[in-house]
Amino acid sequence: MTEDPVLRVEDLSVDYVAAAGTFHALSNVTFEIPPGRVVGIVGETGCGKSTLAHAIPGLLPTPPARVRSGKVVFQGIDLTALPRWKLPTVRGTGIGMVFQEPLNSLNPAYRVFDQVAEAIRVRRFRERGVPAARADRGPFDYSRRAPPSASSTIGRPFLPGGAVEERLKARPMTPASLKEEVLEALTLVRINDPETILRLYPHELSGGMRQRVMIAQALSERPALLIADEPTSALDVTIQAQVLTLMKELIDEVRTSILFISHDLGIIAEMADDVGVMYAGRLIEFGPVASIFGRPRHPYTRALLRASPDRSKSEGPLQSIPGSVPSLARLPAGCAFHPRCTLARPNCSVDPGPPLAPLELPGAEGHRSACWYAREVDA
Amino acid sequence: MGRSITDLLWFIGKRLLLLIPLVLGVTAIAFILIRIAYPEPCVIWLGGHAKQSAVNQCIATFGLNKPLVVQYFLYLQQFLSGNWGISPDSIPVLTSIAQYFPATLELVVASLALIVLIGIPLGVIAAQSSGRWPDHLVRIFYLGGWATPTYLGAIVVAVFVAPFLGLPTSGQYSRPPPFPLVTHISVLDPLLAGNLPYVGDALMHLFLPAATLALLNMGIITRMTRTSMLEVLPLDYVKAARMKGLAEFVVMYKHALRTALISTTTVLGITIAGLLSGTVVVEEIFSWEGLGQFAYDSITSSNIPGTVACVVIFTIGAVVANLLADVLYGVLDPKVEWR
Ligand SMILES: Nc1ncnc2c1ncn2[C@@H]1O[C@H](COP(=O)(O)OP(=O)(O)OP(=O)(O)O)[C@@H](O)[C@H]1O
Ligand code: SF4
Ligand SMILES: [Mg+2]
Repeated sequence: MTEDPVLRVEDLSVDYVAAAGTFHALSNVTFEIPPGRVVGIVGETGCGKSTLAHAIPGLLPTPPARVRSGKVVFQGIDLTALPRWKLPTVRGTGIGMVFQEPLNSLNPAYRVFDQVAEAIRVRRFRERGVPAARADRGPFDYSRRAPPSASSTIGRPFLPGGAVEERLKARPMTPASLKEEVLEALTLVRINDPETILRLYPHELSGGMRQRVMIAQALSERPALLIADEPTSALDVTIQAQVLTLMKELIDEVRTSILFISHDLGIIAEMADDVGVMYAGRLIEFGPVASIFGRPRHPYTRALLRASPDRSKSEGPLQSIPGSVPSLARLPAGCAFHPRCTLARPNCSVDPGPPLAPLELPGAEGHRSACWYAREVDA
Repeated sequence: MGRSITDLLWFIGKRLLLLIPLVLGVTAIAFILIRIAYPEPCVIWLGGHAKQSAVNQCIATFGLNKPLVVQYFLYLQQFLSGNWGISPDSIPVLTSIAQYFPATLELVVASLALIVLIGIPLGVIAAQSSGRWPDHLVRIFYLGGWATPTYLGAIVVAVFVAPFLGLPTSGQYSRPPPFPLVTHISVLDPLLAGNLPYVGDALMHLFLPAATLALLNMGIITRMTRTSMLEVLPLDYVKAARMKGLAEFVVMYKHALRTALISTTTVLGITIAGLLSGTVVVEEIFSWEGLGQFAYDSITSSNIPGTVACVVIFTIGAVVANLLADVLYGVLDPKVEWR
């Protein structure tokens, strides 16, 4: 991997400061996303997946959230050090996002057209308001045109949103071309009757349809990085399958880098190139999909695979993990997994816990595990 | 059933029909209350030392010896045929209403505009900074306005604030206007006559009474905006709007406030009703020649037809305000179907 990663999360720690105590929602999370790759993050509910997804583009509400340490380096720029008012310049065309809850992720007051068109306008404005020459270029082929880099958008003088809207009015991109692009975006997500759909309000759409619109909206800005936070968890099983198939096809089509979050190992195995496993706010294992699922090097990952009903690789009876997830307000000392770990030894409960370290084993390139005894974990 | 213009017109039509029984009820209540308040109006009109024969004559003229129900129907008959009675200064009540109502409407619309322009953004700011000092400052501001009695607020503004700002506190114009008062709307009349200096003069005179009314009635709107913004802000579509790359200002006002306003419209009717009743005191203190002052004068000068007419007009005003709020609610919320 010689190319610079699109995103590098370095030692990121996030707390929620609440009346009940300080919740360490993320502790020293480190990983990177190389260009064009799909990185999956998997973990049980409450382990901090959404916190991670929201922390990257600076979406966390502060308070209660507080970034305790670390950096989020997107295309060479540390977003945690960026002034708040500059963050919008990175969002949309830089980092796009699909949310967990399709019921709430579209504004109920605006028609589908207005919501998608707004996203397209933001992108076109960032491309200096010049309507792209359309003829020579198939829809959504990122490979032919480099997406705008964050450094180029940030370097440009910042215009507040109001001015953006006014500039657009002063020199309108023709409504016809805008509509054409909205239709194109909706067609991309396999909406059969886009002409009808774009006149509807979100409450007139089904959950699956809303999530498609959401995906269309995010992709229409051609982001360099797309974050999908459990995009299918809230959907019915059949719709879930449809949306997953769609996302899988889109991953091949649009060739953008994706951070795909899910609590479902099967989905991650199917979608991702690299996988990160989270436990109690820590990234405890990270590496290529085949390596992680074929030869887990952390006792928690191994236990998770054995507890998963649709595991593809491991054999033997289904096993649930004994004990329960620790409270993020009172994390155990040392390795957070030691109270439940079958391999645990006395030094596992001594601070600081094991860092996420490369394995240095043949056949495990790029595989990192946060366990003192990673080499002893059997498949 | 749907959201087309015809559906909306049907909805408005049906709601306006409801005005008929309402006006009947309100006139009846006002009529009865006033007869309780003035058991012998002829004695009041003619003075305590009037001869009994004169009083009897008066009673006969006005039909006050007939049963109350009959009196009410006689009144209603006249009321519907456009005879709303005559004030003691022998000006027909309807003429006064036609003259004063536009002035009050102007005052109410002006203060409503101030509430929308100041009260709603204050609610947004309070929600954005919830729990921090701008939020507390806004709360003190609107609770203060809310808790202040109208007369006290109006007097404080007229006596202490007005000299400080150098703004007039009395009437609609500084000098008698040289143009005909066609609409009786103080800003519109000089505009129609093309007399721009008088437009400025009228605006200066309008500002303090409108601002006083607005400050005293802003609380509910600001509070409701803050509450519903706090409900909307954590929702994913606000984050989704941010993730489009929109500036925070656009996220707040185009996306979050747009849906938060749906709840705010539910208190719009109450606010307008508050403004209408506030005009009685504010117009009196600022010598604003409007319906509020007419109502005040009618009550204090035992002008019975004038008082009843004011009650009716204020009632219709409150009902129309609520209808307006309902229509606005439906326009803002795409889920509403006109029924
Ligand atoms: N606003 C908040 N205030 C306090 N604690 C919070 C807040 N938001 C999240 N948390 C806590 O942080 C932890 C991580 O939450 P997060 O939403 O990131 O989990 P998740 O992995 O996305 O879970 P899920 O699979 O249910 O979406 C949870 O234990 C939660 O209780
Ligand atoms: S560090 Fe120790 S407790 Fe933690 S996973 Fe490894 S063996 Fe188990
Ligand atoms: Mg989540």
